[in-house]
Amino acid sequence: MYDTNRLENAVGQDDIKISARKVQVFYGDKHAIKDVDVDIQDKTVTAFIGPSGCGKSTFLRCINRMNDTIPIARIEGDIKLDGEDIYDKRVDPVQLRARIGMVFQKPNPFPKSIYDNVAYGPRIHGLSRNRAELDEIVERSLRGAALWNEVKDRLQEPGTGLSGGQQQRLCIARAVATSPEVLLMDEPCSALDPIATGQVEELIEQLRQEFSVVIVTHSMQQAARVSQKTAFFHLGNLVEYGDTDDIFTKPQDSRTEAYISGRIG
Amino acid sequence: MTDFPMPSDASRKPSKSSLLVADARTRKRNAAEKRFRAYGAGAIAIAMLALVILLTTIIGGGAGAFRQTYLSIPVALDAEVLDPKGNRDPAEMSKVLTLSYGRVLDAAVVEAVKANGIEIDGLTPKDMSGLISKEASAQLRNRVLADPELLGQTVDVNVLVNGRVDGYFKGRVTMESAAADGNTSPEQLKLANVLKEGGMLVTRFNWDFVTNPDASDQRPEAAGVGVAILGSLYMMLVVLFLAVPIGVAASIYLEEFAPKNRWTDIIEVNISNLAAVPSIVFGILGLAAFINFAGLPQSAPIVGGLVLTLMTLPTIIISTRAALKAVPPSIRDAALGVGASKMQSVFHHVLPLAMPGILTGTIIGLAQALGETAPLLLIGMVAFVREFPGAPLEGLFDPATALPVQIYNWTQRADPAFIERASGAIIVLLVFLLCMNVLAVILRRRFERRW
Amino acid sequence: MPLSWALIASLILAIAGYFAARGRAFAAAGPDIRRLHSRPTYHGYSVALTTLAPALAIMVIASFLRMTGVLAEQAGAYVGLVVTAAAVVGLVWGLTRIGIEYKARNTVERIVLGLLILCSTIAILTTAGIVLSLVFETGHFFQKYSWTEFFFGTNWTPRFQGNSNLGVLPLLWGTLYISLIALLVAVPIGMFAAIYMSEYASKRVRGIAKPAIEMLAGIPTIVYGLFALITVGPMLRDYFAQPLGLGNSGASVLTAGLVMGIMLIPFVSSLSDDIINAVPQSLRDGALGLGSTPSETIKQVVLPAALPGIVGAVLLAASRAIGETMIVVLGAGAAARMSLNPFEAMTTITVKIVSQLTGDNDFAAPETLVAFALGLTLFVITLALNIVALYIVRKYREQYE
Ligand SMILES: Nc1ncnc2c1ncn2[C@@H]1O[C@H](COP(=O)(O)OP(=O)(O)OP(=O)(O)O)[C@@H](O)[C@H]1O
Ligand SMILES: [Mg+2]
Repeated sequence: MYDTNRLENAVGQDDIKISARKVQVFYGDKHAIKDVDVDIQDKTVTAFIGPSGCGKSTFLRCINRMNDTIPIARIEGDIKLDGEDIYDKRVDPVQLRARIGMVFQKPNPFPKSIYDNVAYGPRIHGLSRNRAELDEIVERSLRGAALWNEVKDRLQEPGTGLSGGQQQRLCIARAVATSPEVLLMDEPCSALDPIATGQVEELIEQLRQEFSVVIVTHSMQQAARVSQKTAFFHLGNLVEYGDTDDIFTKPQDSRTEAYISGRIG
Repeated sequence: MTDFPMPSDASRKPSKSSLLVADARTRKRNAAEKRFRAYGAGAIAIAMLALVILLTTIIGGGAGAFRQTYLSIPVALDAEVLDPKGNRDPAEMSKVLTLSYGRVLDAAVVEAVKANGIEIDGLTPKDMSGLISKEASAQLRNRVLADPELLGQTVDVNVLVNGRVDGYFKGRVTMESAAADGNTSPEQLKLANVLKEGGMLVTRFNWDFVTNPDASDQRPEAAGVGVAILGSLYMMLVVLFLAVPIGVAASIYLEEFAPKNRWTDIIEVNISNLAAVPSIVFGILGLAAFINFAGLPQSAPIVGGLVLTLMTLPTIIISTRAALKAVPPSIRDAALGVGASKMQSVFHHVLPLAMPGILTGTIIGLAQALGETAPLLLIGMVAFVREFPGAPLEGLFDPATALPVQIYNWTQRADPAFIERASGAIIVLLVFLLCMNVLAVILRRRFERRW
Repeated sequence: MPLSWALIASLILAIAGYFAARGRAFAAAGPDIRRLHSRPTYHGYSVALTTLAPALAIMVIASFLRMTGVLAEQAGAYVGLVVTAAAVVGLVWGLTRIGIEYKARNTVERIVLGLLILCSTIAILTTAGIVLSLVFETGHFFQKYSWTEFFFGTNWTPRFQGNSNLGVLPLLWGTLYISLIALLVAVPIGMFAAIYMSEYASKRVRGIAKPAIEMLAGIPTIVYGLFALITVGPMLRDYFAQPLGLGNSGASVLTAGLVMGIMLIPFVSSLSDDIINAVPQSLRDGALGLGSTPSETIKQVVLPAALPGIVGAVLLAASRAIGETMIVVLGAGAAARMSLNPFEAMTTITVKIVSQLTGDNDFAAPETLVAFALGLTLFVITLALNIVALYIVRKYREQYE
C-alpha cells in the first residue's frame, strides 16, 4: 500500500482537483473497487494502469458519475471536486458532467454532422450566445483535437463517415468543446494507429495546460510518455500511486513491478 | 499544434459556480426533463386507462348475458290440444306446431296471474302472455316431445322471460322507455315486479348462453354462442392440423436446408409481406379460390379454417424460425460429428430443443386466428345458423358460425338486448384467448432454456 | 364418401407396409444388422411413403379435375378404386426394393426434403392465389365499368338495378383520414410509452405496464369495434359533436380513428422498443458523458439515430390502419363522403369490401365485382407500404449490426 502522507507532502494541498476517499463500487454482489483513496492534481495528466478487469474504467466512471446509469452499480465513500462532494444529494450529475468530460474507448460519434457533434455540448450547456461564437468554439475544439485541417471543408458531413482515428479525435473535440475542468479518457488510443495516437498524445500534453486529464491506458509506454502521475490498480485495489517516473523506475510494490515488467496482466 | 488556442475564460464561467446549487440553466433543463418523463408516464397511463375502460365496459355490459330471468308457473298440458290423436306417438305429436304450445303457455300465464290475485290497472291479457319469451313455447314443445307421459298433467315449468322484462331487471329497460316501446308496457313491468316479489320470477345464472345456438331477431333472451363456439373450435382444429405441420416444415427447410439464393430470398420477402397483408384480403382469396373456384360450401368451417391457415402460416413460420435460430450451431455440429445425416441432426436434436418456442408461436398464431373476423364475413360465416354442425370430418362442411362473427352479427341487430349478448360473447372469446396466452406463458417459463 | 374410405385404406396399407418392410429388412440382414445400409425403420418409412405418395397424388389431381369440371361428381367411386390400387402397387414395388444394398435412408430423406420444399412454397402459392384472384376478377370488373370512373370518380352510390356510381375516391379519403387520426393517436403514445419503459420505468412499473400493453395487442379487433360502437361513438357524439353542433352520428371518422389508434399503440410501442434498443449504448454514454440529461440524450441522439427505423415502424402501422376492417365497419359508418369534419360518418375501402361481398353475391354484377377492384387497390397500397417499411427497417438494423 502506498503511503498517503508521502503523497500529501509531495503535492501541494491547493492544486488537488479531485480527491477520493474510501471509494467502494459494487456491481450487484461483485466488489469491483475496494477502498480506493486518491488525489488527482489540477493541470496534470494522471494515468491509470493495471491488468484487464481490475476496475480502472469503473473508477474512472465514478468520477463523473457515469456509473449512475448502470442500475446494479452501487458506490460508497466520497469523491470531492474542488472540495465539494460530487455524490451529495444536491449535486446534479448533469452539471457535474459538464465540468468533468469523458472520452470513451470506442469512438462514438453521434449520427449527426461533424459540426453538430462538436457543437452538441456547447448547445446543451448554453455556452455560446450566437452562431458566430458557436462556430468559434467548434473551430477551436477541432483545432485542439488536431482535426481541423482534415475536416474544415466537410463540417456538414456525418461524423460517422470519418475514419476510426478521426472519429476518436472528433470525440475528443466534442468533449473539449464544453470546456471541462477535468477530462476523463478511457483508453482513448486503443482504436488508433501510431500516427493518430501520437497526435492524441500531443493533444493531451496541450490539454494539460488548462485541465486535469485522467487517462486509462494499457500501454506502459504511453503512460510514461504522457503522464506525470500514475496509479496502478490490481483486482479492485489501488496498489500504488505516485510520480510516473518513480512508478516506472523504482516501484515500491512487488505487484507493480511485476506488472510493469510484464509478468502479470 | 503550436497555435492551440485554449478556451477563453468567458466560456468557462459556469465552472466557477458550486456544484451544490443548480444554476438557472440546469434548473430549466431539469424541468424539461421532468416534463418529458411526465409525457412518457402519461402515455403509459393513457394506454392502461384505455385497456381498463375497454375491459370494464365490455365485461360490465356482457356480464348480464350470463344471467337470465325465468318465470316458473304451473302449466296444464292439455292432451286434447297437444296430442289430438291421443296415441302418444312422438311422430304424430310432432305435427303439432309450437303455436299450439304457445297458446297453452299463454293461458297458463293468465291463469297464474289470476290465481295469485294480482290486479294491476290497465293490465291486458296480452301484457300477461307477452311476459314470456317467444322461445318458451318451443322449449316446452321439446320437453313434451321428449317425454310424452307429461301430457294431461299439470307440470311446473321454467320458461324464459321476454327480453324487455329481462332487460328491466338488468336496468336496460325503464318504465319510461317501456311506455314508448310497442313491445312492452309499464303495466307488464309492474306485473313482473309483483311476480318477482312473489318469487315466481327469478334472475339466475344462465348456462344456456354458452350452449344454446343463435336465436332470431325477436328473441335475444334465447340467443347463445353454442354453434359459434363449435364452429370456432372446428376452425382451430383445421388450423392446428394444417398450419402447424406446414409452417414447421417450411421453417425447417428455410432455416436448415435452403441454399442462400434468389428463390429463398423471394420466399423470405414473400413471407414477411404476407404477414402484413390485411386479413380481409385473405377473405377475398377464400371467396375466390375456395368457394367460387373449388366449389366448397359457404359458411363451412373447413373454408374458414383454410383461410385462417393461410393467414396464420406467416406468424407460425416467423416464430418457428426464431426458435430454430435460437438453437446454437454447436448442437448441430455435435450431431453431425457423430455421423448423423443433416436430416437426422435436425429432426432428432434441433427440433426437440426448439419445440417450446415453436409451441408458443403456434399458440399465439392460433389465438390470432381465433379472434379474426373480417375474412370470415366474406366466406359467408355471418349467416344465421341455428343447427349445430355434425361431427368431423363431415361436420367441417356443415354451415356454422364463429365466435367473432357471431359478435359482429349481434351488433347488427336492432334490439339493444343483442348488444349485451355481443358483449357476453366477447367475454367468452376473451376467456378462451386468456387461457391460450396463459398456456403460452407457462410453456415459455417451463422450458426456457439457456445454453 | 368413397374418397375418404380410399384415404383410410391407403393409410392402413402404408402402416402395414411400414411393418412389413421393417420385417423384411431384418430378415435380409440376417444375424448381423450392420450389413444393412440403412436402419430397418428407414426401410419401413420408405415403403410407407411409396404407398402413400402415388395415392395422395392421384387424389389431389382428381380433386383438381373435379373443381375445374373435367371430372363429374359421380366419378368419385372410380377415383377411390384407382387410389387404392395405386397404393397397393406402391406398396408392392416398395417391398421388392428392400435389400442389404438399398439406400432406404437416402430415399426417405430425399422425399422428406421434397415435402419440406413443397411446404415452403405454399407461402408463394398463397401470394400467387391472392394476386390471381384479385387481378382476374378486377379484370372482369373493368370490362363492365370504366376504370377511369373507378379511380377518379368522387361518387359512390351502388344501386341494385345497375347504373351505379363506383368511384373509389370517397372511400380512399375515408380510409386515409381515419388512418391519419389513428396514427396521430398511436405514434406519440406508443413511442412515449416505449421510451418510458426502456429508459425510465422502474422494474415494478415495467412489470405492470408491459403486460398491460401486450394485452391490448392480444385483444381481437372485433372487440375494439364493439368498444367503438357502444362506448366511444356515443360518448363523442353526446359530449363533443352535438354540443359543438358538428354532427349527430355516433359512427364517425374520429370514433374509428381513436379506437384504431388505441389498437395500434402496442404495435407502435413494441416496434419502437426494438428500434430504440438497437441504438448502441455507447451513443447514450457519449451524450450522458457530455452532461446531457436523459431526455436530451433521447431527443437529440437516440431518436435521430433511430429515425429510419421509426419511419419504418410508422409505415407498418399505417399499413395496418389502412387494412383494418372490423373497427371501421362498426365505428366509421357506411356513408361514402368526402368531408373534413371528423365527427361525420365516412366509410373506407375495407367497409365497402365487406358490404359488397356479404349477402347474396351476383358475380356478374359490377356492384359485386367492384369489391375485388377495391381489394386489389388495398393490396397494392399496403404491399407498397410494407415493402418500403421492411426495406428501411432492414437497412436500419444492418447499420448497427
Ligand atoms: N456493468 C457491469 N456490470 C457488472 N459488472 C461489471 C460491469 N462493468 C464492469 N464490471 C466488472 O467490474 C470489474 C471491473 O471492470 P472494469 O471495466 O472497470 O475493468 P477495467 O480495468 O476497465 O478493464 P479493461 O482494462 O479490460 O477495460 C470487472 O470484473 C467487470 O467484470
Ligand atoms: Mg476498461
